[in-house]
Amino acid sequence: MQLNLKKNKASKQLLWIGIVSIVMFFGGLTSAYIVRKAEGGWLEFEMPVWFTISTVAIVVSSALLLFAAQNVKAGKSGTSLLLGTLLLGILFSFSQIQGWGDLVAQGVYLTGEGSNASGSFIYAITLMHLLHLIGGLIALTITTIKSKIGKYTKDNYLGIHLVSIYWHFLGLLWLYLFLFFTYS
Amino acid sequence: MSEHHKETFLTKYVFSLDHKMIAKQFLITGMFMGVIGMLMSILFRLQLSNPGESFAVLEFFLGEKWAPGGVLDPNIYLALVTMHGTILIFWVLTAGLTGTFANFLIPLQIGARDMASGFMNMLSYWFFFAATIVLLYSLFVESGPAAAGWTIYPPLSALPQAIPGSGLGQDLWLIAITLFVVSSLLGGLNYIVTILNMRTKGMTMSRLPLTIWALLIVAILGVLSFPVLLSCALLLIFDRSFGTSFYLSDIIINGEALHNTGGSPILFEHLFWFLGHPEVYIILLPALGIVSEVISVNSRKPIFGYKAMVGALILIAFLSFVVWGHHMFITGMDPFLGSVFTFTTLLIAIPSAVKVFNYLATLWRANIRFTPAMLFAIGFVSTFITGGLTGIILGDSALDINVHDTYFVVGHFHIVMGLSAIYGMLAGVYHWFPKMYGRMMNKKLGYFHFWVTFISAYGVFFPMHFLGLAGLPRRYYTNSAFPMFDGLSDINEVITFFAIIGGLVQLLFIFNFFYSIFKGTKATENPWGSNTLEWTTPVERIHGNWPGEIPTVERWAYDYSKPGADQDFVPQNVPLKEGETEH
Amino acid sequence: MMSILVGLIILLSVIVLVQILRVNELVSEVKDQDANEITDKDNNIQGILTFAVFGVLFLGFVLWQFKYWGVHILPPASSLHGATIDTLMNFTMGVILFVFFLTQPILAWFAYKYRGRKNTVAYFYPHNNKLEVIWTVVPTLVLTPLIIYGLNVWNDITGVDTTNSKIIELYAKQFNWTARYAGDDNTLGQANYKLVEGLNVLGVDMDDDSAQDDIVTREVHLVVNEPVLLKMRSQDVIHSAFLPHFRVQMNCVPGMTTQFGFTPTQTTAEMKEQEGEDFEFVLLCNKICGAAHYNMKMKFIVETQEEYNAWMASQETLKNTLTLN
Repeated sequence: MQLNLKKNKASKQLLWIGIVSIVMFFGGLTSAYIVRKAEGGWLEFEMPVWFTISTVAIVVSSALLLFAAQNVKAGKSGTSLLLGTLLLGILFSFSQIQGWGDLVAQGVYLTGEGSNASGSFIYAITLMHLLHLIGGLIALTITTIKSKIGKYTKDNYLGIHLVSIYWHFLGLLWLYLFLFFTYS
Repeated sequence: MSEHHKETFLTKYVFSLDHKMIAKQFLITGMFMGVIGMLMSILFRLQLSNPGESFAVLEFFLGEKWAPGGVLDPNIYLALVTMHGTILIFWVLTAGLTGTFANFLIPLQIGARDMASGFMNMLSYWFFFAATIVLLYSLFVESGPAAAGWTIYPPLSALPQAIPGSGLGQDLWLIAITLFVVSSLLGGLNYIVTILNMRTKGMTMSRLPLTIWALLIVAILGVLSFPVLLSCALLLIFDRSFGTSFYLSDIIINGEALHNTGGSPILFEHLFWFLGHPEVYIILLPALGIVSEVISVNSRKPIFGYKAMVGALILIAFLSFVVWGHHMFITGMDPFLGSVFTFTTLLIAIPSAVKVFNYLATLWRANIRFTPAMLFAIGFVSTFITGGLTGIILGDSALDINVHDTYFVVGHFHIVMGLSAIYGMLAGVYHWFPKMYGRMMNKKLGYFHFWVTFISAYGVFFPMHFLGLAGLPRRYYTNSAFPMFDGLSDINEVITFFAIIGGLVQLLFIFNFFYSIFKGTKATENPWGSNTLEWTTPVERIHGNWPGEIPTVERWAYDYSKPGADQDFVPQNVPLKEGETEH
Repeated sequence: MMSILVGLIILLSVIVLVQILRVNELVSEVKDQDANEITDKDNNIQGILTFAVFGVLFLGFVLWQFKYWGVHILPPASSLHGATIDTLMNFTMGVILFVFFLTQPILAWFAYKYRGRKNTVAYFYPHNNKLEVIWTVVPTLVLTPLIIYGLNVWNDITGVDTTNSKIIELYAKQFNWTARYAGDDNTLGQANYKLVEGLNVLGVDMDDDSAQDDIVTREVHLVVNEPVLLKMRSQDVIHSAFLPHFRVQMNCVPGMTTQFGFTPTQTTAEMKEQEGEDFEFVLLCNKICGAAHYNMKMKFIVETQEEYNAWMASQETLKNTLTLN
């Protein structure tokens, strides 16, 4: 038991420090964005509506996940709430791709003649966020399945706890990026 | 515990989860890459001392295409320089040094059965291995490996039309470095969590050996800076593969005007050096930690000023994040920014000086036992002084104007980063070899190895300062195009001569290493009379490190020659005597 | 055949080495010693060697290099700001050499003096706060003037007044340099990389009035003691304009213009007298840029106003070379 607690604490720390390095990664990208923007020749454009839908989806999914974790802690099943989180996560991914479509329709391109760094940055950064999110979706899927077959009890829910930390982090990261793109 | 599991060859030597085996995997891979990197340097040194002359050895290694008639091709010269830098900086001195000693020493010295996550640790090695394969593969592609310098500044690294190495070779380089960063991050996360959580009873932070302090700080540096390198590389990959304009603007190459506008190569340099400078300390700090330990053990004296040593490490690490601009004084940056970077850069001299004086104070009134490890540690202090001092010139923006990118820089960083880190690594290998393999390395070969290495290394890198002060730029295929450099050929010949000698003697070290694994004399449990916990483990390698309980720590690691003790060392697990105070 | 021979030689030397080591260890065994234990004799020999190599051979080699290779160091600067860099360099070099010749001998001496003996015990001396404060404060005190002095020089160089400087553009590409004088109006005409075509190697916009009198040359002539402002551009990759004799260096970056202002103080003729007939001021490329990076050069000639005027009179303006076609 003693060893197990130590192990749990270590796993959480591993995740947190991993999150720090992801923050540095996006910190690097967004500071490049700021530096590049300051040099001028910057195309301004409207953020697509689909990105707002993304934002709503990921905020609601985080809330569902929060309830799921509470349920499990209270000894109840969290499967349906986890499933809801997963579906909203997929909706998020879908809305991201739709958002890119909107951008292209607006004439904001990733590359080629007429493309601008402002557009390229949006595509590159959102793509990187989406890749991290897909990692989260895979983890959520596993967690949902494990929850369905009753692997979690009120004494043993480390998996859900870790997934929650990562998923909430991705949500916060998206909020940061969304506000950053809109207001910077 | 897992020691009852039956081990097959595969789980014991290949997909091992045991930190000691993973450490050896890193060490041997690092040594292998070290030999390749060193061989490359000798090949291009031949061209530099004897420009345009034909050498059978060049044709032997590079073939008819890259060394037609035994004369090195200029593009391949740049490729060799690039790969030499990449291999030595990342593969040998980052993975080879930290990967080996962090994996080996962290659990043993803090009193843990293994790393926090053995699986992540194994993954860390295998990502590194994959990176190695990709990098080595790039040596065999048609257009040659990456050739834009290890700093891969775009646009040169972004445009295959600019240099053949920027084709497939550069793609492979970027893939390799991405895998490498993943490996480093997996390793770094593990090191930090292990040190913070898995220390045995009594091992407070203020009792940690300095090696562990150094490795902890290095891991933190890595976790903070490698992701930024990744973001920097990511944008370069976009520019290369998808035609975006992050770093590219207003370019005509081979008569073709590219569509890219608005990008900034300077942006790349900022992002790159935000990693690049901490990377220098990622290389140097483990060596500082190892050397502190080796000097203390073999001086039979406590390391002088333990707290100041830790403080200096932390200060150096912190400063390393605010000095990156000193690589960019002449990029046309805002002069005020240049002033700030000069100021922060020169501040690093203070904690460095503290470390040097503390080493000297440790040697004062010592009872020095000259093991080969100790010689390398003393050699480290010498190169750390020499290289550190020339840094004061390069860190000064006004002086940098005329020595920037000349051989003065090459001399400086090879001495302070290359030699010092290599000496630290070699000191570590000689020192911990008995614990790694249960046998001793041959001492006479060790002495011979040290003296030839020390003399030839200074013979190679000290004269480079004079080349630099004569104005000779680095990365020149030959300096015969400018009559003003005609007088420098004798210096170049001396450098190449020592490079060959110094290179050959490393083969002797490798011979000694492998000979001693199989045939060396048997080691005892604690051959150096050392205090740290790893020397309380049995000679045989076992999973879990200690057969019984993990020892409890009762004192700091540096009670050497303590008055009132029975012998000249008191291991960390020996309780304080009645009335004895710590330190 | 050759590789077989080499392989054989390597194999043979490995076998010989193994045998030597075995014999060495067997002899020790017979004498009832551990072949790899560090004895007092070892400590003696290695301690003396450390002193001899670290303290005598290495430091002697350093002095030898200054004596015999010091002549290769660049001659004193041929520019106004360069002289201030040289003074700063000498000052800094003096400080670091002092520290170098202070600490290296101490290291060598301690290694020799305190070489170990059985039966002696080292002095237990874990820390001394006073000493540590001293060697934190003293380096700080030494560094402070170095930093202040250095920053002063840097601010003078980067803040030099260029309002009256003659403007010359340096244009870098793989693998040569082109220069463009701003002409009588001392204003460079606009340029755009899309306009590079045929004779218009710099992409100068000929619709711009100030471009008409610009003059493109393959070498740079400067008037002694007259300030110039170099403006750098690049066509393809990063290059770096390096003029070691003037202590001038600035990167040339595609997509942006960088600049460096300075005043030459010695003519080429004076330098030939001082350094020998072969002397020339040269512009080098000092940022890795491709296969012929090592061979990217342009001549700089510093001369009197009369000589300069004569040379300039023989040059054609862009108006004549480009638009008449």
